[in-house]
Amino acid sequence: MNLLQRLQQANYQTTAISGDTAYSYAQLIAQALQLRLQYPTLQQQAIALSFSDLHNFVIAILAFDGWCRALYLLPDTSLDLPETVINWPPTEVIPTAKTSSVSTESALASTQTASDWYLATSGTTGTPKWISHSFTSLNRAVKKSAQVAKLRWALCYHPSRFAGLQVLLQSLLSGACLCDCSYGDAQQRIKLMQQQHINAISATPSFWRQLLMTGQLSNLPLQQITLGGEIADQPLLDLLASKFPHARLLHIYASTEAGVGFAVTDKRAGFPASWLTTPHSDIQFKLDQQQHLWLKSPTPPDASLNSRLDSEGYLDTEDLVKRQGDRVVFLGRASGVINVGGNKVHPEQVEQVLLQHPAVLQTRVYAKTSSVLGQLVVADIVVTTDTDNKTLQLQLLQHCRQQLKPYQLPTKFNVVSHLQTNASGKLSRHDSHTPPSDHQQSKTRNEDQHE
Amino acid sequence: MELEQQIREALTKVALIADCTMVETINNNTVLLQSGLDSLGFAMLVAQLEEDLGIDPFSQMQIAVYPRTFGDFISIYRQALAQES
Repeated sequence: MNLLQRLQQANYQTTAISGDTAYSYAQLIAQALQLRLQYPTLQQQAIALSFSDLHNFVIAILAFDGWCRALYLLPDTSLDLPETVINWPPTEVIPTAKTSSVSTESALASTQTASDWYLATSGTTGTPKWISHSFTSLNRAVKKSAQVAKLRWALCYHPSRFAGLQVLLQSLLSGACLCDCSYGDAQQRIKLMQQQHINAISATPSFWRQLLMTGQLSNLPLQQITLGGEIADQPLLDLLASKFPHARLLHIYASTEAGVGFAVTDKRAGFPASWLTTPHSDIQFKLDQQQHLWLKSPTPPDASLNSRLDSEGYLDTEDLVKRQGDRVVFLGRASGVINVGGNKVHPEQVEQVLLQHPAVLQTRVYAKTSSVLGQLVVADIVVTTDTDNKTLQLQLLQHCRQQLKPYQLPTKFNVVSHLQTNASGKLSRHDSHTPPSDHQQSKTRNEDQHE
Repeated sequence: MELEQQIREALTKVALIADCTMVETINNNTVLLQSGLDSLGFAMLVAQLEEDLGIDPFSQMQIAVYPRTFGDFISIYRQALAQES
C-alpha cells in the first residue's frame, strides 16, 4: 500500500502540518489527489523532488508515491541523475489535463506502481551516489500508537536527507503533527519550537547540545527525544534523561546506504552485547576480527552493495565498534571518515586540497574528538623550509575555504618534521591519538595531479 | 594569567581562524549563540581551551550544564578548574 492509501485508510482527523498555516490530513490528501488529476502525464514517470517548503513537499510525495515510477529526493549539493526525470516543482511546462482524462477513481487506484525512492548518500568513498529504497523499507521503523499520534514533531533536517525523511514519515504515518524547524540558528529554532508546542525532536547529539545551550530547552514539554546521525555519548544521554525523566529517550543507528537502522531505548550509549546472539528488530548482528559491525536485515540492501555482503547475507557497515562489558560501543568509521556534528568529512578530500598549496609537502588529516561536535578535523603537515609558520595557518585556511565547506576545514594544523610511512596495516584515522598511518599523502604521490 | 583573560584570548584566536565576526562587546551577559561564534567556532574554542588549560569540562560533564552566556561559560571553567585542584 502506498503512502496516500495508508493515510486514506488511517483517516486521521487531525492537523498534519503546523506552522504559519496549518493543514489537516484530509486537506493534504485532497490536494495530493488534485495534483494527480491535474498532471496525468506524470504517471509512471521518474520525478526529481526539490524541497522548497514542507506543505508542498508533503503533497508531492503523497501524490507521487505509488503514482510515479521513481522519486529522487534532490540533496542540497548537485548530483547527476541516472535517468531522464521531471523536476518538481516544475522547471518547465508540464501538460495539464484538459478535461478530466483521469478520473478520481483511477487517481486513487494506483496500487500497481511500487515507486522506487532514491536518496543521495556520500557513502564510504566520498563520492555522492543514489541509493534506492522501497517505501516499505523506509517506513519499517515507524511506530504507531495512541500516544505517538499526539506528538508534535520538529522537522530539524530537510526531508531529502535520511534523518529528515524518517521524521516526516514517522509523523505522517502515525497521525502526529509536523512543523518545519529546519532553518535558522538554534536560538531561532527553539523559539519556533516553543511557539509550536513541539514535544518530539529527533536531532544529532551536536544539535541537542546547541539546544541545551539556549537555556530554553526545558521549556519544551518533550515526550520523545531521539538522537541520531552521530555517536550518542553517555554524558549527553544522562543530561537529557535528567531534564526529561518521563520522555521516551532513544538513540538510533541508521545506515542510509544499507537502509537499515535500529533504536536503543535503554538510555545507555552503544547497544546491548546480547544483540550479538539474539536478533533485535529483525536485524542480526555480528562483529568481525577487525571490529567491524555487520548487520543482516530482512530486506536485502541496494544491489550496488553486494560486494560488501558475506555468504550469509550480512552487510559490512564499515562502522568500528568495541565490546565493553555488556555493551557494544561505536568508535567511528573504519574508513576514517570524520563526522563533524553529523556532517561527513573525507580526509582524502581535505588532504588533496592542502597539497595544492605550495608550502605543503605532506599531510595527514584525521579526527580529533570534540565534546561539542563529536569530532573536529585536524591536519598534520610537513612544510617547505622557507615557510613562515606564523602566517601559514591563515594562508592555508584561506586556500581551503575556496574549495571546502566550513565543517571540512582543519581546525588545527600541526607542523611536523615528517610523517611516518612505515605502518604496515590500514590504521583508523578516527582519533587524534591514532598513530600516523600509511594514509598520509605526499606530493610525491600526487604530483601528477597537482603540479 | 587571569582565567577570563585566557578565555578571551582563546576566543579572539578562534574567531579569527573560524572566520567568525564577533559582536563588538562581549560581557558576562552576552548570549553565546548570539555572540557571532557558530557551533564550529564554539567547538574550536573548547578544543583550544583544552590545550591551554588542560581541561574540557564538557567531555565528562563534570558540570552537567551547558552555558547560555559568556558569564556561564567562564563560571563552568572556573568550577571545573577548582574541582581539578
